[in-house]
Amino acid sequence: MAAGERRVNLGYAEAFRLGYNQLIRRLDRSLLNVASIALGLSFYTSLLHMDTFYYTYTALGGASLNVEATYYWLVTIALAVSVVGITNAMLISVQERVKEIGTMKCLGAMNQHIVLLFLVEALLQGLVGGIIGYIVGVVAALITTGGTTGYDILLKVPAVQSLTLFATSLTIAVTLSTAATIYPAYRASKLDPVEALRYEL
Amino acid sequence: MSFNNVIELKGLKRYYEIGGEAVKALDGVDLEIGRGEYVSFVGPSGSGKTTLFNMIGGLDRPTEGSVLIDGVDISKLDAYELAWLRCRRIGYIFQNFNLITVLTALENVALPTVFAGMPHDEGIKKAQELLESVGLGARLHHKPTQLSAGQQQRVAIARALANDPAIILADEPTGNLDLNTGTEIIDLLHGLNKTRGLTLVAATHDLKMIKVSDRVVWMRDGSIEKIERG
Repeated sequence: MAAGERRVNLGYAEAFRLGYNQLIRRLDRSLLNVASIALGLSFYTSLLHMDTFYYTYTALGGASLNVEATYYWLVTIALAVSVVGITNAMLISVQERVKEIGTMKCLGAMNQHIVLLFLVEALLQGLVGGIIGYIVGVVAALITTGGTTGYDILLKVPAVQSLTLFATSLTIAVTLSTAATIYPAYRASKLDPVEALRYEL
Repeated sequence: MSFNNVIELKGLKRYYEIGGEAVKALDGVDLEIGRGEYVSFVGPSGSGKTTLFNMIGGLDRPTEGSVLIDGVDISKLDAYELAWLRCRRIGYIFQNFNLITVLTALENVALPTVFAGMPHDEGIKKAQELLESVGLGARLHHKPTQLSAGQQQRVAIARALANDPAIILADEPTGNLDLNTGTEIIDLLHGLNKTRGLTLVAATHDLKMIKVSDRVVWMRDGSIEKIERG
């Protein structure tokens, strides 16, 4: 057989299938991660939207209102806490799967495949958490500002601006979730199969 | 390059250091295993059987000496080639099965075909055929926890065969099974050895496994004590 054919691989489609399987079948842990992202992000999204709602209100002739700058400090801390939470959950998840990772390596998985599987999980968790966090954030912003600006302010925000806010929220959710998983995924990929197979939980 | 010997061990040594003390897990093993041969390794725990397995399986590297699979020194392979070897040339069977608990029997058996780059549908079809051939056609969508120990080991055997390997490495495959189930698994492995011409290398304490092997290698303190014809 030619040397070029002596390659193992893990396509993105298969990686997504496996990652999705892991998430669905360890639903309790994945939901905790999703909740962690959603909570941090909803806070962030609500601030962004309050700002936008006030700005739109002012632009349409209402009084000038803003979100206090100190809130942005709080939101930064909230996002940092959710990153730490996800890293912790993913490290536990790696620990739970030591044998499984060792087995996968016996079946032909390489270090980068293990990393890919964990990153796929992070990506999916980030997306779901991001969407939930976005919705919660928008609702929270409406509840906070609606009394002053009117609840129909949501519809008065230019569409491009709404879309940008949505894209920003999702990007932040996915980025944070992925960043939080890099170290656990790296640890998982470096597991020695011999040690891993001997490991008893 | 030898074409008759699928596995060659030359002056194989593996030393560890545990707490500042050198442990000679393997201390100079020379052995040739022919294509289609059924070889059992026997010996007390700590005699080096598992270390030897890890060496042949490309999971561990020798301190000295070499392991040749199909005439190729595996210590000279890069990470890709080593993964390819594990994926395509060797099937692993463990004492405690090591199935992926979140995957069904079918998905477990199909997993090695994923790394081999086989299209999804083809892999699933192959896995189904293999599970049927080990008598688990009615258990395709069961999780490992929903299967008996004997059934789990059958799934593991089907998984080991997924990429048509040349070598099956079985580490105490009947160690966690009762007498009858153990006998069924031995018959299954022996049958695969005969019908598919698979090279079967097993570590075992099981007398019934020893009886059906072509050669029995007795290990002691990291060396071969004696070799008997089965």
